[in-house]
Amino acid sequence: MKPLLPARAAWPLLLAALILLSLVSLAVGDVRLGPAQLLRGLLRTDEFAAVILWQIRLPRLLVAMLVGAALAASGLVMQAFFRNGLASPGLLGVSAGGAAGAVVAIGAGWATASFISVPIMAVVGALVSTGAVVVLARQGAGTERLLLAGVALNALLGAVTSYVLSNVTLTYERNAQILFWLLGGLEDRTWEHALMAAPIIVGAALLWPLGRPMDLLSLGSTEAQSLGVDVRRLRRRLLALSTLLTALATAVAGTVGFVGLVVPHILRLLFGPEHRRLIPLALIGGAAFVVGCDLIGRGAGGLRLGIVTSLIGGPFFLWLLRRSV
Amino acid sequence: MSTLHLKDVAVTGRLEPVSLQLGPGQLVGLVGPNGSGKSTLLQAAAGLLPHAGDVRWHDRPLRDIPMLERGRLTAWVPQEAHFEFGFSVRSVVAQGRFAHDDDEHGVDATLARFDLTALADRPVNRLSGGERQRVLLARAVVTQADIQLWDEPLAALDPRHALEVLMLGRELTRAGGTLVFSLHDLRMAHCLDVVAVLDHGRLRAIGPPEEVLTPALLLDVFGVQARTEPGLTLFLP
Repeated sequence: MKPLLPARAAWPLLLAALILLSLVSLAVGDVRLGPAQLLRGLLRTDEFAAVILWQIRLPRLLVAMLVGAALAASGLVMQAFFRNGLASPGLLGVSAGGAAGAVVAIGAGWATASFISVPIMAVVGALVSTGAVVVLARQGAGTERLLLAGVALNALLGAVTSYVLSNVTLTYERNAQILFWLLGGLEDRTWEHALMAAPIIVGAALLWPLGRPMDLLSLGSTEAQSLGVDVRRLRRRLLALSTLLTALATAVAGTVGFVGLVVPHILRLLFGPEHRRLIPLALIGGAAFVVGCDLIGRGAGGLRLGIVTSLIGGPFFLWLLRRSV
Repeated sequence: MSTLHLKDVAVTGRLEPVSLQLGPGQLVGLVGPNGSGKSTLLQAAAGLLPHAGDVRWHDRPLRDIPMLERGRLTAWVPQEAHFEFGFSVRSVVAQGRFAHDDDEHGVDATLARFDLTALADRPVNRLSGGERQRVLLARAVVTQADIQLWDEPLAALDPRHALEVLMLGRELTRAGGTLVFSLHDLRMAHCLDVVAVLDHGRLRAIGPPEEVLTPALLLDVFGVQARTEPGLTLFLP
């Protein structure tokens, strides 16, 4: 299929969407802020608005952006790596691995000892799943094999999470914390969480220059190698980056499904498959998508982010499956 | 000086030790029954398959050549390709310039050469088999690599495009390149400089086609009764 929109429309369109959604996200809530009040709050000249913005809405917005950018970019990378448009962190169980790691950290009480243990364990969990997917599916694997590997991993890691959750010795507080990771959300995100997710920016920067070799890889690894791509090194880097991005996103927002599937797909449909273009677009588009989904959830009376993305992503995935058959 | 030198190159279970030495300007055909090891030999020669023995390009051992430089020295065309994503024909051909760090040089001319100009903006996953084959060949040619290794480049092509590809191959070798390609149509073998015959993973014979393709060998390798007639030679313009 030909791209539906000219490539030069991409940047202005997505940036405008992100800025608009961000402003709305800052303005609406239990207390509605008008444009003037919003500006005064951001400049800290209005004490009341400043507290709402700087302590509640800005960190939440920032975390939403980082999570969206990370998940979309991670999905894009996995699709190029596995040469399969249906690969994504959620479907392959990498998100579930991150969540299981985080849940184990909380359940074992490490989280109380050190705040940083949650993201570290999320990275470990995501790494284990990524390794398992690579062994089970191999790159260039057919859709069936890939999705079945994801099903198996999601079930296995779900069992780990459920086990920790069902452990009766846990306190109510810890149980609530774990549930948060299972459902995925942006409630009560603080600057601490934004800081925890900050390495996502580093991951995105490292991914940026890999667009062209990703193009070659996505059309076949032997072909890419014959054209001069150091395929082994590239694949190692891509896996490390997508794992890191997914793990960090999961560590601050829990399992948020389908972002890595929906966003790259829509962007590819709109602007074509070149990764040099898609990487920055996925970062911005992913951020805009999650900010938008969070807005929908808040507007619907506090629906969790993971629920909103799944409500949108689930049908989209089924539509994709039908299309690809 | 040799352009492509294989010394005891072997791949477990697929290719027994093969040694051959090819110089600049040679148009080489690789023939043999299905499963005789043609693709394996081409991939090993392209440095794309773990193998025993020694592969040298321009008298340099493969292990001394950095990955990126390999993309400038040798081009390989797969027998068939599956495209998951809808890259445009032009951008796939431009991928051949990856190792040169540009994506324009010679692309338009090569597109025209392979009759792809009208298809330049078409997504590659919406092409016919023959069109796809021409895209892969164009991507290999645009690398300007001296060593070209093509796996059954003519298999999906109609007679006109097949003939044009053969003529282009001749042009490349006249310019000093070395082209090795596998083929099934033995009648075309007569317009090659060298024919190598593979059978059950072994190199049975290598040399000028009229010396190599004897009725006895054809019967032994392919199990067909053949008569060599001068009239079957295909003359290229």
